[in-house]
Amino acid sequence: MNNTLLNVKELQVHFKVYGGILKVLNDVTLTVNEKEKVGLIGESGCGKTTTMKAIIRILPWNAIVPKAKIYFKGKDVMKMNDSELKKLRRSSISMIFQDPTAALNPVFKIRDQIFDVVKYANLEMGKNLSKKEIEEEAIRLLREAALPEPERILDSYPFQLSGGMRQRVCIAMALASARELLIADEPGTSLDVTIEDQILRLLKQIVEERRTSIILISHALGAVKGFVDRVYVMYAGCIVESARTFDLFHEPLHPYTKGLLAAVPKLTGGGIPEGIKGRVPDYMNPPLGCRFITRCVHAMPICERKQPRMVNAGNNHEVACFLYGE
Amino acid sequence: MSNDNILEVINLKKYFKVSKGTIKAVDDISFTVKYGETFGLVGESGSGKSTTGHVIVGLYAPTSGRILFEGADISAGVERRPLSLKKKIQMVFQDPATSLNPKRTIKQIIELPLKVHDICHGDTSQKVAELLQMVELPVEYMDRYPTELGGGEKQMVAIARALAVNPSFIILDEPTSALDVSIQAKIINMLMRFQKEFNLSYLFITHNLSLMRNVASRVAIMYLGKIVELASTEEFFYNPLHPYTKMLLSSIPVITDEEEAMKPKKIISTGEIPGALNVPPGCSFHPRCPERLEICDKVEPFMLEISSGHLVKCHLYDFTKA
Repeated sequence: MNNTLLNVKELQVHFKVYGGILKVLNDVTLTVNEKEKVGLIGESGCGKTTTMKAIIRILPWNAIVPKAKIYFKGKDVMKMNDSELKKLRRSSISMIFQDPTAALNPVFKIRDQIFDVVKYANLEMGKNLSKKEIEEEAIRLLREAALPEPERILDSYPFQLSGGMRQRVCIAMALASARELLIADEPGTSLDVTIEDQILRLLKQIVEERRTSIILISHALGAVKGFVDRVYVMYAGCIVESARTFDLFHEPLHPYTKGLLAAVPKLTGGGIPEGIKGRVPDYMNPPLGCRFITRCVHAMPICERKQPRMVNAGNNHEVACFLYGE
Repeated sequence: MSNDNILEVINLKKYFKVSKGTIKAVDDISFTVKYGETFGLVGESGSGKSTTGHVIVGLYAPTSGRILFEGADISAGVERRPLSLKKKIQMVFQDPATSLNPKRTIKQIIELPLKVHDICHGDTSQKVAELLQMVELPVEYMDRYPTELGGGEKQMVAIARALAVNPSFIILDEPTSALDVSIQAKIINMLMRFQKEFNLSYLFITHNLSLMRNVASRVAIMYLGKIVELASTEEFFYNPLHPYTKMLLSSIPVITDEEEAMKPKKIISTGEIPGALNVPPGCSFHPRCPERLEICDKVEPFMLEISSGHLVKCHLYDFTKA
């Protein structure tokens, strides 16, 4: 059961920009097991999406990767050549993006867009499908993504569909090639609450049926809680805590996780708690030690000098904070 | 006249003519806001909640209906409103990145309303500094440009600009939905403090029900341009009546077990929100409604008062017909 599918170790990503270098990802380490649902939470700009883009090697041109060990099923992704990467993206890992409007090409019908994906995903597995077979497969995928009247959808342009339907189309396209790992980057954030709920329930049902692993990225803590087995918390380019979902929400350890959970307004009322003071550090000159030090209420002298490493606080609950030993 | 209402909205309609027909963005809604309270307006995108705010502040003249502010009719539209009235009603927009002029310094942004309303003559530096301190921003920010500030800080500037003219009524249009939760908490707390300090009344527009639970004293929920349920916050969350309210409440992702226990269980979100151009006949929620009756696609329900202050627009509660 516990076969590691994806193993990322000490991933660093920097971006060259006008005025210097942004040191964004700082030694990100994470693993995803087969058939596992993993959540990645953190606030905007903390590097969630960058981590995922680094994994499937689609970082923009100004990104620098000084250090990275990425293994997918034991194979080193960093050493893959173009054709191996193509194969990886066409048949193993796929990604659903936050904004379905931006992810679909506005000037092509859904038919043209999904046909390409289906064709090449199957070609990679040695199946050269005829046009008719491609259409059948595309319709099957659209149905799997709970889209009514898939034939009509195929002949629509993206603007003719609602936001929820567009996201379902993106899910269908991702399903064509995500045989082992699906990365869902805030799949419901740009949608309405009732529609987001539908999309998340659909995704959960699909990955459980297909026995695919999924990484669900979100800043909405509640959405992650009802979905995944294990959660990673990210802050300013670092993984600060990882635990099983239940443990993380019932007994958060890192001061950032605690602050984040406390800041969410509760349906049961009780007023709005104080947020986390201060702001995210500048990636140009991040703090030398713990990156949360500028906002932490427990900051100690050691936090300034040393970067905390992930330590096991028991029960597979890991935290990168000097309050918990090292 | 009831004198404890700062704002009364009566049968307000706002239609937009487009090439394909008429969009009924706001379709016959009525509500009141009392002095010093926070009235919440909830709804999903396209439900008309922002348009309602825009009509009240005067960005559009209403198609029909009346808006009474402190007892006086202000439905005429902004060009006919006196300056003294514009001063009293202010607005904070959703996205601070687009509501602040990127080519102006923070000082120029905040001093504009001061000059327009003739509050400050000559050098405005001191007043601007006071306003910045009030929203807990460093005075040095005066000479900076909006792009140099974080999202939360920009929204603080927008709030300072709204407060600059001593308004009595502020429309908050999703003031924190573009921000992270840790920053949202800080801004909401600050807004609540100002409300007490300056005796402000708020119209709080948001799609976030968990947030609404914690800030509003009364809540109205909109669906496709109509208010479908209106109640005090306690009533609304512990005794939701309209099937749409129940669907919305059960869709909210929550993080604690207590919250999970509060959510209505039976209703699962289905269907799409129809476009504003083809609003379904009868009750506009009927295609998605799990408790649909025969009458629902034919006759539009009336607003019924179920208990004191709890109004709902649904045939399920119309016992006269049953």
